[in-house]
Amino acid sequence: MSRGGFLRLVAERLGFLVLTVWIVTTITFILFRLMPGDPTLAYLSPTFNDDTRRALLASFGLDKPLWQQYLIYMGNLLQGDLGTSFLQRVPVAQLLGDALPNTIILTLVSLSCAYAFGIVAGAFLAFHRGSAIEAAAIPVALATRSAPEFWLGMLLLAGLAFQLGWFPTGGAFAPGSDLGTIGDRLTSGEFWHHLALPALTLTLYLQGLPLLLMRATMLEVLGDEFIVMARMKGLSRWSIVMRHAARNALLPVVTAFALGLGASVGGNVVIETVFAWPGVGRVLVQAVQGADYPVAQGAFILISVVLATMNTVADLAYAWLDPRVSVGAGR
Amino acid sequence: MKRFLFAAAAAVAAVQPGIVQQAWAQPAGDPIRPLVLLAQPAAALPQEYQAAELVAAAWRELGLQVVIRPTPSQQFSQIVWYERQRWDTTTWQMVGRPERSDPDELTYNLFLTANIANGYNFVGYSNPEYDRLAQAQREELDVTKRRAVVVQMQELINKDQPYGFMVHPKNVVAFNKNVWDESSIVEQAGIGARNTWTWLNIRPLGAQRDIILNSVSTPTNLNPFNISGAQGSWAAEIAWDRLMRIGTDGLPQPWAAESVTRPDALTVNIKLRAGMKWSDGRPITIDDAVFSLVAPGIGDKSPMYKPFVANIANVEATGADTLRVTLKRPDAAFLVSTLAKLNLAPKHVWEPIFQSLQGKPDTAESVMETTPVTSGPFRLVKAKLNEEIVLEAYNDHWAKPKAARWIMRIQPNVQASLGALRSGEINFLADYTGDPQLLRDAAKANPQIKVAEALDIGFKFIAYNHRRQPFDSTPFRLALSASIDRQLLAEDAFGGAAVPSNSWISPALAAWYDNGIEKRVPGGTVEAAKKILKDAGYVLVNGRLHYPAGVKETTPAFQ
Repeated sequence: MSRGGFLRLVAERLGFLVLTVWIVTTITFILFRLMPGDPTLAYLSPTFNDDTRRALLASFGLDKPLWQQYLIYMGNLLQGDLGTSFLQRVPVAQLLGDALPNTIILTLVSLSCAYAFGIVAGAFLAFHRGSAIEAAAIPVALATRSAPEFWLGMLLLAGLAFQLGWFPTGGAFAPGSDLGTIGDRLTSGEFWHHLALPALTLTLYLQGLPLLLMRATMLEVLGDEFIVMARMKGLSRWSIVMRHAARNALLPVVTAFALGLGASVGGNVVIETVFAWPGVGRVLVQAVQGADYPVAQGAFILISVVLATMNTVADLAYAWLDPRVSVGAGR
Repeated sequence: MKRFLFAAAAAVAAVQPGIVQQAWAQPAGDPIRPLVLLAQPAAALPQEYQAAELVAAAWRELGLQVVIRPTPSQQFSQIVWYERQRWDTTTWQMVGRPERSDPDELTYNLFLTANIANGYNFVGYSNPEYDRLAQAQREELDVTKRRAVVVQMQELINKDQPYGFMVHPKNVVAFNKNVWDESSIVEQAGIGARNTWTWLNIRPLGAQRDIILNSVSTPTNLNPFNISGAQGSWAAEIAWDRLMRIGTDGLPQPWAAESVTRPDALTVNIKLRAGMKWSDGRPITIDDAVFSLVAPGIGDKSPMYKPFVANIANVEATGADTLRVTLKRPDAAFLVSTLAKLNLAPKHVWEPIFQSLQGKPDTAESVMETTPVTSGPFRLVKAKLNEEIVLEAYNDHWAKPKAARWIMRIQPNVQASLGALRSGEINFLADYTGDPQLLRDAAKANPQIKVAEALDIGFKFIAYNHRRQPFDSTPFRLALSASIDRQLLAEDAFGGAAVPSNSWISPALAAWYDNGIEKRVPGGTVEAAKKILKDAGYVLVNGRLHYPAGVKETTPAFQ
């Protein structure tokens, strides 16, 4: 693809991204207004009279017509203002800003481990196709992939935390620790100790996809003529698998990694809840439970933006990495 | 004509069993429509849901068609509280709070006719005699005479059964007795072991001096003008002092006030304790105390606390350390409902904040202080509401706690919290929503764990909507209440962590409880309930309960 063609593709994809985000934010706005019940009920005491209730609704702008609420909402969004939490009374951006780094760290660590393991194990199993190892490994990979995350998490908690005491039962640091900044956290052994169990659970859950994908692609590649040529040249098995076959089988796996990264930002809800990991998923659960609409809206928007962005990145990366990929009709 | 047809039907039934079974040979009105019992989903409140199933089963034995409608929390509150004509019957609860140690809040509000439209009386019960007694108990300052009135009111409610009372729950908590001296745990009447007195008195046995407790929910914003949820209030109560506190016996006692006297029904004189300091080191003055009582009533900037100062006509400093409160009307519960409820707030911090809020939609509740200035025995050092709240002992406080820090870990997974107690990561399981038996079993298997169970001030009940047939009929309500097996609910649905209830006042409040009333539900069995219905003219036709003769079903079914 020419440089001009690629730039056109970038502009087109970014346009789609903006459109997607606008649609998602609008749907999110409408969805929360359609939900039954008054959002202020989450914290209104029955001792409040109607005047108090009306005053609170007005303080949140919920007494205005829907179209006005929408315009205010979109205007605020464009300025990066996601509103204020009904329950915690802090800016939503601050709540999500605190939680997002924890989610990204958990996701990156788990995805990296899962994909590193999945790629190597997938290549290995492809090379040993039909063996007893493959017969045993595939069901195990499928089982861990299919097992509900909370179940897997509770099993690991019960075994490794409750019984053996190797890991903490939850949270991102020990009680009362002062690990305020991300830098403090990343350089603290205590933080990594707390991260281990949720990351292990997420890794086990995520490894199935890259393993199976890598194995399938490898099987395809291993039948290609250049692999036969490599064998004829007398190259070692390791060299054939890792240097020639695996490199050519990686492209779909790399794409899946980018998509997985996007999906995991919002997909860690269960693991973050089971392990009390202070990430975006947990903020979202608490917001939904407490009908904290601004926070829930903000979390949905953040998750959608990350997912849409990573989809766009994957799309562009694919086109850039593989010149054979055509873009649009007639190109 | 209709009577004749029913009599004929009964006669046919007598010779052709199976076609029409009219068990009670009386003429019948319309069949009672299927009744909808609202309950929160089993996933949210499993014990309440099981209780609803048991109650519905008992009512079906009376010939009623009962449908349980699981309803998500927000929708549930919306319907029951704000759509008062719409629903038939619902599960509900009144939670225990320290300020409910005085029976006034519930006694006055729950069944008052004036509260039917949009107040606490959401069931729509009306009885002029009750209204008269409610006012009388509020104005009676003599405790013995007031108790007699409160007991009389419980008897009245027992005869009318506006609710189907189910149980008074127990608070179940646990702590690590290798870390804390068991004898230093304080049980507060109606609250249990998880209370301010425990946080002040709990004594460490070794090097671990931090109280590390769990919370399954995220607390709300902490500031002296925001009534936090349950978990947030545990922190707020030790961070901010009040002029009075509810003592371990459930009665108010002076705290930041050295003395509180009531020379007459409308006057309260308060003398402030000497030498108290805010956490920023400045002295707590009489102006601060006056401000704390006045500020919630300024405009609409403190809607949560405003109702608690609505009865105050005037507050004035009468000396360097004394003030006088003048009430609009006599209020026996004023010490509990206001003086033990309002936090002391520093005037030098909050007066400018209140001024800056004028003309804006924001309220004082939403203000987040960077470094909160507190007055209590602990001061707030960290509030990451999704992770943990940390308070440390305030060494300059006159009631300095024995523990070094109070750390509340937010852990939504209650099983993980139990595991954390076993592993020693937390040493006080303060918020346990799981099966009580699991906790008891864990204590048996782990000798360091001590379980503390105590009866709560609150109660769980079935609310009948008196605005709608057939709940407007007293005999019908009596029959419904009589058919409820409260012992079964306490043991099976609530896992033994509850006791039968037949009053809004818990046996934990011994000074106000009408002893033995839980055993005096009229009727008291399904058979007795059937007799009440029969005596009132209700008729069972083909297994289905009908209204008394001549009564039409005019109420639309709940949708």
